[in-house]
Amino acid sequence: MDAFKSIINSLSEPQIMFSFLVLVFFFIFPPSDKLYRIHKKLRLDLLWTNVGGVFIFTGLFVFFGLGVTDENFRLIVTKPDNVPIVGLLFLTIFFLWLSMKQGRDNDIRLAEGQKPNEYHDPEDKVLVWPDLVYIELIAIVLCSILLMVWSIYLKAPLEGPANLADSPNPSKAPWYFLGLQEMLVYFDPWLAGVVLPSFIVLGLMAIPYIDSNRKGQGYYTFNERKTEISLFLFGWLLLWVFLIFVGTFLRGPNWNFFGPFEEWSLSKVVPLTNINLSELVYVRWLKTGLPDNIFLREFFGISFVVGYYLILPPLLARTILKKFYSKMGIFAFSMFVILLLTSVTLPIKMYLRWTLNLKYIVAIPEFFFNI
Amino acid sequence: MAEKKEAKQERYYSISKLNKWFAISSMILCVAVFGVFAQDYLREWRVFQREFRELEVEKTRQAYENAQQDLEQNQEYQTLIEDQKKASLELEGKEVLRKALQKDIDKLDSEYYSVNRRHQFAKAEYDAAKYRYEDAQDHEGLTKDIRDEFAKTQSLMKELKISAEDTKKLLDFKKEELSSFDEKINQLDKAKEALSHELDVINRMLAKIDTAHMSFGNRMADKFRDLPIVDFMNPSERIEQVVVKVDTENLNFMRVPRVDRCVTCHQGVLRKDFADADNPYKTHPNLDLFLSSGSPHPLEEFGCTSCHAGRGRGTDFVSAAHTPSSPEQAKEWEEKYGWHEFHLWEAPMHAKPHVEAGCFKCHSGETVLRGAEKLTFGLNLIERSGCYSCHTIEKYKGDPKTGPNLAKISSKTSKDWTFRWIKDPQAFRPGTWMPSFYGLSNNDDPESVQWTDQEIHAIVHYLYTESENYDMKEIPVVGHLARGEELVSSIGCFACHKGPNEDDDEDRDRQHLLSEFGPHLLGFGSKTSEKWLYHWLKDPKTYHPDTRMPNLRLTDQEAADISSYLVSLSNEEFMESSVPEINEDMMDNITHELLSLKFPAWEAEEKLKSMSLEDKLAFSGETIIRQQGCFACHNIPGFEDEKPIGVELTEEGSKSLHKFAFELSDIEHSKAAWFQTKLKHPRIFDKGKIKGPYEKSRMPKFQFSDEEIDAVVTALLGFVKTDPNLRKKPRTPKNLFVEAGQSFIRQHNCQGCHIIEGEGGAIQENIQDWLVKHQGKTEADAEALAASFSPPNLIGEGKKVQSDWLFSFLHEPTIIRPWLKVRMPTYDFNEEEINTAIKYFNFLDDEPFPFTEKIKPDLSAEEMAAGEKMYSPDYFDCFNCHIRGAKMPGGTPDRWAPNLELAKERLKAKWIIDWIKNPQKLLPGTKMPMYFDPEYFDDSGPDDILDGDEHEQIRVLRDYLLVLPKAANPSSPSDQDG
Repeated sequence: MDAFKSIINSLSEPQIMFSFLVLVFFFIFPPSDKLYRIHKKLRLDLLWTNVGGVFIFTGLFVFFGLGVTDENFRLIVTKPDNVPIVGLLFLTIFFLWLSMKQGRDNDIRLAEGQKPNEYHDPEDKVLVWPDLVYIELIAIVLCSILLMVWSIYLKAPLEGPANLADSPNPSKAPWYFLGLQEMLVYFDPWLAGVVLPSFIVLGLMAIPYIDSNRKGQGYYTFNERKTEISLFLFGWLLLWVFLIFVGTFLRGPNWNFFGPFEEWSLSKVVPLTNINLSELVYVRWLKTGLPDNIFLREFFGISFVVGYYLILPPLLARTILKKFYSKMGIFAFSMFVILLLTSVTLPIKMYLRWTLNLKYIVAIPEFFFNI
Repeated sequence: MAEKKEAKQERYYSISKLNKWFAISSMILCVAVFGVFAQDYLREWRVFQREFRELEVEKTRQAYENAQQDLEQNQEYQTLIEDQKKASLELEGKEVLRKALQKDIDKLDSEYYSVNRRHQFAKAEYDAAKYRYEDAQDHEGLTKDIRDEFAKTQSLMKELKISAEDTKKLLDFKKEELSSFDEKINQLDKAKEALSHELDVINRMLAKIDTAHMSFGNRMADKFRDLPIVDFMNPSERIEQVVVKVDTENLNFMRVPRVDRCVTCHQGVLRKDFADADNPYKTHPNLDLFLSSGSPHPLEEFGCTSCHAGRGRGTDFVSAAHTPSSPEQAKEWEEKYGWHEFHLWEAPMHAKPHVEAGCFKCHSGETVLRGAEKLTFGLNLIERSGCYSCHTIEKYKGDPKTGPNLAKISSKTSKDWTFRWIKDPQAFRPGTWMPSFYGLSNNDDPESVQWTDQEIHAIVHYLYTESENYDMKEIPVVGHLARGEELVSSIGCFACHKGPNEDDDEDRDRQHLLSEFGPHLLGFGSKTSEKWLYHWLKDPKTYHPDTRMPNLRLTDQEAADISSYLVSLSNEEFMESSVPEINEDMMDNITHELLSLKFPAWEAEEKLKSMSLEDKLAFSGETIIRQQGCFACHNIPGFEDEKPIGVELTEEGSKSLHKFAFELSDIEHSKAAWFQTKLKHPRIFDKGKIKGPYEKSRMPKFQFSDEEIDAVVTALLGFVKTDPNLRKKPRTPKNLFVEAGQSFIRQHNCQGCHIIEGEGGAIQENIQDWLVKHQGKTEADAEALAASFSPPNLIGEGKKVQSDWLFSFLHEPTIIRPWLKVRMPTYDFNEEEINTAIKYFNFLDDEPFPFTEKIKPDLSAEEMAAGEKMYSPDYFDCFNCHIRGAKMPGGTPDRWAPNLELAKERLKAKWIIDWIKNPQKLLPGTKMPMYFDPEYFDDSGPDDILDGDEHEQIRVLRDYLLVLPKAANPSSPSDQDG
């Protein structure tokens, strides 16, 4: 058991877990026809059937069921602050499964030349009055019961009086901001706290204008919208839910990483040996000192960033995103590519950190400007 | 479904299925709502209150029964009942008379009512007529009508007034007659009530709390008021709270009132009859000092948490932040109350063993906190062991260094001795207050021992090279060992020093600490020379200007005798322990390590190369002394302005728990446990850590017993951050002067000799030994005589002596009790210090200060003769015991009493009167006879003097003393002091 726990602990290291999830992700949610064929061949679509659902949820329940027998795991999972996030995990997976299952059913029907399920007048048609209102009333009653029972058994997670000289360790944001807090590990606060959240909000607002695929309106499908769904889910699951999950369960004192079965020791020490790109280039590769001139010093970083945003879009428009470019036109495409590139900076930054201990690509502390 | 569509109403859902869902979910909701109420109704404190009420009913019923039984057995009460029966029988015989009388009264009553009303009306008419009369007179002029009306109404009014008064008189008379019938019964009732008062009180109480004693309506109301929902109005079960007036709660950003809800469960704290109940209902101990409204700490002002700490607003066991006294209790609480440490509250309750910690924050100025023995012991230990030298503590700011001055060490002892002493002080003097720095858990492995041995060499080297010269002449006389031994035990050395023959087995208490004020008198022969001792004893201040060792005004011979005795005490075993050679390689390593802490490697390397062995020793010695903080307790040349190395402890008790480095140890996570462990095993938190030689913990080990550690921990827990508005013990001049005096007295260990405020006199035990050993007394005699040969008890000193005299005496002691061998030393106090002492004694006794009554005795010839007579052997024979000038009384010195010739300068006039009247009252156990028995005062004095007027006799005795002529006997004055 202990060996199993330590395997899980080391597999949960963000480097390993994130890489694994990214790898698996594109097979489970294939963005292209080629990958879709492999997806089918591997029978991964069976996940979105009732049997698959039982399999997923049995796996989850068994993991949590066995997990809570471990004291460290139990402490984290049953903390009143964290209980809603355990719920969030199950709900996210459930609704993902439900919508994917409906999409898969329709994909099969469409392949057979039939209309999608939603095309027919559904059998469970509902009248607003009195049925829907009645159902909603019942739902309200059930939710009230849930809240009451919850409040009886779990006390509100109130803390002691705040103390300036003595902040809690770890200091955690509310659960819905933990993704942002996790981003702070890799980005300057200005980026992680201001620029990226703004991009998320803008990006969500822009989706209807960017998404020009008219298929899948009014019914669930995966096959007809696989690129759109895959891209969105990548952002939602891996760049948001996953970060919340890590921030909640796997970040302990001093924001150090801890496996789910590891004790949160205050005295754990992790070496901090991060360096900026300028040091990497000048000191490590060119074996000279840093130039005094800020622009000369940050030349490589700035070029990298400028190149990333100026050279990559036209390059992509001509290569792998050619289809999109021709469909969307230059304006929508530029928006899409900028958003896409920006969201991809997170995994890029993560990998640069893990492989090269890179702190900032552009680091101008003189003007509080870091990328 | 399709068929249903045809029905009158279009429906796609089965309504009966939805109804079922709704029914079931509503029922569950109902259960959940009940769950919510049940949870509130069964809250811990409610259950406690119900249990308390049951207990209260039970106790009250018992009290009721007892009171009833008492009454039944009370003869007086029973007779009263009999009498009452008789009286009512008697009354029955007079029933006819009574009825007739009542009839008369009723008739008269109505008559009086009618006539009185008419009188009132007539008066109203008269008042109106009077107004009209006055008005007319002033304006249009009086007419006949007006005059007539006035006269008429006036006469009617007067007539009716008389009539009403007559009727009233008759009525009152009749009423009185009637009441005389019942008078006896009423009287008996009152007498009965007086006897059954207690029972009635209990009965009223029972009617309030015991349903069995309630009327049906009350019983229903009693149940109803505590029902869920309606209990918002006026429930009997309720959260009770005290808003504390003396202290506030610190929430870091603001201060909010302390609200203590402890009494919600601890319902019996103020009830004396719950002393034997279990917690939480138990009575608070010592109600005269705490909680009761007449005590200095009333509940309504102090609440609970201002002393006990904890979370006053908590209404359940866990959230009140209770702290268990032991791991066993913790376990018991876990099972019983689901207790766990309430880590969200930074100031958990003081556990019972450390409860006195709560006293300190308001009483921090005091040196002795009466009633808080453990805390006081802890404070005394901190003071004696000099914790404040390394760890700044506000209370002890400015207190002297506890260790000896090392500036002239080379004249006092040898390098070898110093090496051995630093390495293991306990081996030389078991129980010494010098703590151990070496051979502890983080430096006792062979490798560390080799290293630290060389470090000690470096320290010794530094001390000896920096040592100043101390000029010592040859001892002019030859010392006599046996005489020295007697002198040591008779002149008072043991008041502050523990002697060579005392065993260390018994546990130290506060009294023992007094005689450990100075170092133990052991092993001098191995440590120092006779010559050094001689000079030290003759005048300690020449060696150490700030020493607290006083000058005993020894003659050359006495000093030589004592030195020769002390050097005869040696510790051979200690001196035989080996001292390793200085190892140059090791010294290089040490110096290199120390240099690398300060300089870059190349510079360290260079510096090391340029150093000779001497340089290395000197450099390392100095650096290690700085690093270990030796200078905090000792004066060491070169370290005069160094800051102490320890963490400040002034607010240690408020430091949050996670700032304590528990490191890898698995002790209980509490401040108390951390302090205990740190004091018992000071280096234990280094265990399992990888540390360089100069990164290790440096806290040395003191020889504390478990009990002592507990006392020190109590004090540390009491060192808390205080609110500027905290109502401390009032800062009145009296309290301030008394506190300053108490501190002064401890600084100079006055209580080593004298009993002050009922404490001290540590020397008496040694005086007893001296009497047995050197005066040939038996143990029993010695015990009885010890007080007579000990320094005086200073009870009531402020009332007793004149401030002027006390000033001169403290400045330069004079002889008052020549029979005492023990000497009042010369301290070289400055006037500020002496004033502190004088103010202390006067304010302690509530004496007027600085000026007191001035008496100018003016005795007539007759009074003078009477005085002389009373002093003579025919009467009180005062000079049979009292010394008069240089004239010693007869008999053995243990009967002697102070020199009366000094009285006029020394004693306060008022005190002399009180003293003669009743010496036992002023100094319990004094040998002074009581000539005027306070019980039969008027018959106590001699009848043939001053007409037998005792007050006059006492006055004359006093005045005679104040003009006492010098004794004629010119025998030479003794050279001894007392």
